[in-house]
Amino acid sequence: MGDSHNYLHLARPLAPAPIATSQSSVTAPVSVTLQPQALFSIIDHASRRPADQERVIGTLLGTRSEDGTEVSVTNCYAVPHTETAEQVEMDMDYQKRMLDLHLRAAPKEVLNFYSQQGEGTFPHPAVHLTVSTVAGQDVEANTYISAPIGVTAERAADSCLFIPVPHEIKYDEASKSGLELIAGARDRDDRTQLMQTDLETLERAIEQVLEMLERVSNYVSDVLDEEQQSSTALGQFLLNTLALAPKVDAEDIERDFNNHIQDVLLVSYLANTIRTQIDLSNRLATAAITMGGDTNVASSGGDQQKQQSGERGGERGGQRREGGGGQQQRSGQAGPGGRRGEQ
Amino acid sequence: MATVPPAESPVREVQLSALVVMRLIKHSTQVWPQPATGCLVGMDVGAQLQITNSFPFPASNPDNTTGNPNATNPADPYHQADQLALALAAPRAKSSVAYQNEMIKYLREVNVDAQGVGWYVSCSMGNFVNASFVENQAFYQRATGEQTVALVFDVGRSSQGSFNLKAYRLSPSFMAACKENKFTTESIQKSNLRYQDILIELPVAIHNSHLLTSYLHQLPTSPTADTDLALPASLNELHRNPHLASNPLAPNLDNLDLSIDPFLEKTVDQLLDSIEAHQTEQNNAQYYQRSLAREQAKIQTWQLKRKQENALRVQQKQTPLPEDEWQKLFKLPVEPSRLEAMLVGRQVEQYARQIDGFGAVVSGKMFGVRGNLLPGEAA
Repeated sequence: MGDSHNYLHLARPLAPAPIATSQSSVTAPVSVTLQPQALFSIIDHASRRPADQERVIGTLLGTRSEDGTEVSVTNCYAVPHTETAEQVEMDMDYQKRMLDLHLRAAPKEVLNFYSQQGEGTFPHPAVHLTVSTVAGQDVEANTYISAPIGVTAERAADSCLFIPVPHEIKYDEASKSGLELIAGARDRDDRTQLMQTDLETLERAIEQVLEMLERVSNYVSDVLDEEQQSSTALGQFLLNTLALAPKVDAEDIERDFNNHIQDVLLVSYLANTIRTQIDLSNRLATAAITMGGDTNVASSGGDQQKQQSGERGGERGGQRREGGGGQQQRSGQAGPGGRRGEQ
Repeated sequence: MATVPPAESPVREVQLSALVVMRLIKHSTQVWPQPATGCLVGMDVGAQLQITNSFPFPASNPDNTTGNPNATNPADPYHQADQLALALAAPRAKSSVAYQNEMIKYLREVNVDAQGVGWYVSCSMGNFVNASFVENQAFYQRATGEQTVALVFDVGRSSQGSFNLKAYRLSPSFMAACKENKFTTESIQKSNLRYQDILIELPVAIHNSHLLTSYLHQLPTSPTADTDLALPASLNELHRNPHLASNPLAPNLDNLDLSIDPFLEKTVDQLLDSIEAHQTEQNNAQYYQRSLAREQAKIQTWQLKRKQENALRVQQKQTPLPEDEWQKLFKLPVEPSRLEAMLVGRQVEQYARQIDGFGAVVSGKMFGVRGNLLPGEAA
């Protein structure tokens, strides 16, 4: 999909065409970056098209870099259209309306779509993206930019020639985890995949690493037995990787390990304690109302005391707001720690 | 399916399409650290809710000066000065409802399922249980009476390697309590509502279309154990090989990363916030009780005085004064709602569960690392 090393960009060598008066100083986008969600959206729309239409047309939204050389497509939506034998008509009204709606939600995205008159993307040339979805073959995406073409100036404003540009599908960090989950469903019959817990994902990751290690060790033993060709590059790479293992003292490891495990256990215990405290205080508050007014104040003051002793095990020594009435009854029993500054 | 009575819990499972997953991730990571809210559309099939598309809600920005018709109008009942609260309240704001209806209308023309089936929100490390969340979901569950669900996407935990998305509904007992909108102690005692009962979690599954599946098969995965692969000629060539350098479906090994402290720090910070919220609630409740006690004491003294006056007047053969005038003279304070306290409890439980899950995973990793670095020890 767009091998960008060996690409000849056809528009660049051309001098800016002196045809259009206002479009002459524009630099054409050199490359296009696609975000996976736009691609998925297009695929989804393609599978929902009415039975008699062969294709779907829509608008791309995205951002443009400062000098216009990089365009990134981040979103898209479909626009209904009708096809006749000679030309393809789009519902421009719908398109304008949807654009309006989308811009309200994401005001930074800019229109990037080709339309017959060239308006809407003025003064930058429009970007066109086609995705082929023929069943049985690969799904291929191609991007083009429009360039004015025409014999005379007026004709040039109306028609466009599309020049292919290299494109790239970028998967950013956050999408990777989602993508992995989605891809997990592709090997199953019903194409569904349940959400996995953390432990399951961890298990899968460890299995993958074990598999990779197995392959590498097989290769190395084969090379030692002279069954496989050796490769200095691979050897160097393996050396570099193995050198990353840290050299630490055994006591340091033990100590760090114990500290970390204790940290985790401590916070877990703390969270559960707080949960119990809050549960208890809520229950006391709602249950004690039957015992009358004074006892109510005492009991809720009591659990205030209990809760604050739970907090003392907490982290920051910031000032906690003291409870009101209950404290006055128990001012004598301040408890350990010098935190009870106020009486 | 339109006349399902709200007392049952008709939705038992949620099925997402891959498109929704990607759009959710995109939107949430874009507006992070603000919460991202949006609407879900799809269809309900029996007890399963299928979600096929989503779109974000525009958050009205009080600082917006571009003449946006969505700009907050102080007369709007949902006017909230704080932008965070505004973003959280977006799903139930009037302007958003209008936006949603329009979007759905347009999406129907391109054959997208035109039924709103819920809303989504993004959070960080599980801090989504607040009054706004509950009100939004109540709004959805109440308005249409149909199966609607709230999806919560956890940005913080997903960035650590494991994708974290959950679906929630409000329990029927909580919905009934919401209808009366009374959360006083008596009503809670009667209904026996605990904070664990507020939310029901639903299992989520991901479903791909055929076309998407074929596209996924086309993406390069880790290279197969093919011995015909040419060996690389140099280290640089290895680094530059596009199959290896930028492989979207390469096994994502971020979740083997051993980073404990940031997670613990964030969780503890949020626990402290919850404790402060709980303190506030406690103070309010106690203030109410104290003022109630004061008022009652005043009423008692007044009644005593009245009785004495009446006894005096009876002696002097005059008509006794009415004794129940105290109801008009003294106004009892209103009991504050206990909803917030319950929500704090639920939120802390969420943190506790998260920590437990994290602890399980991290202990496994730690033992693994230790076994590796201390050779000779039986793991």
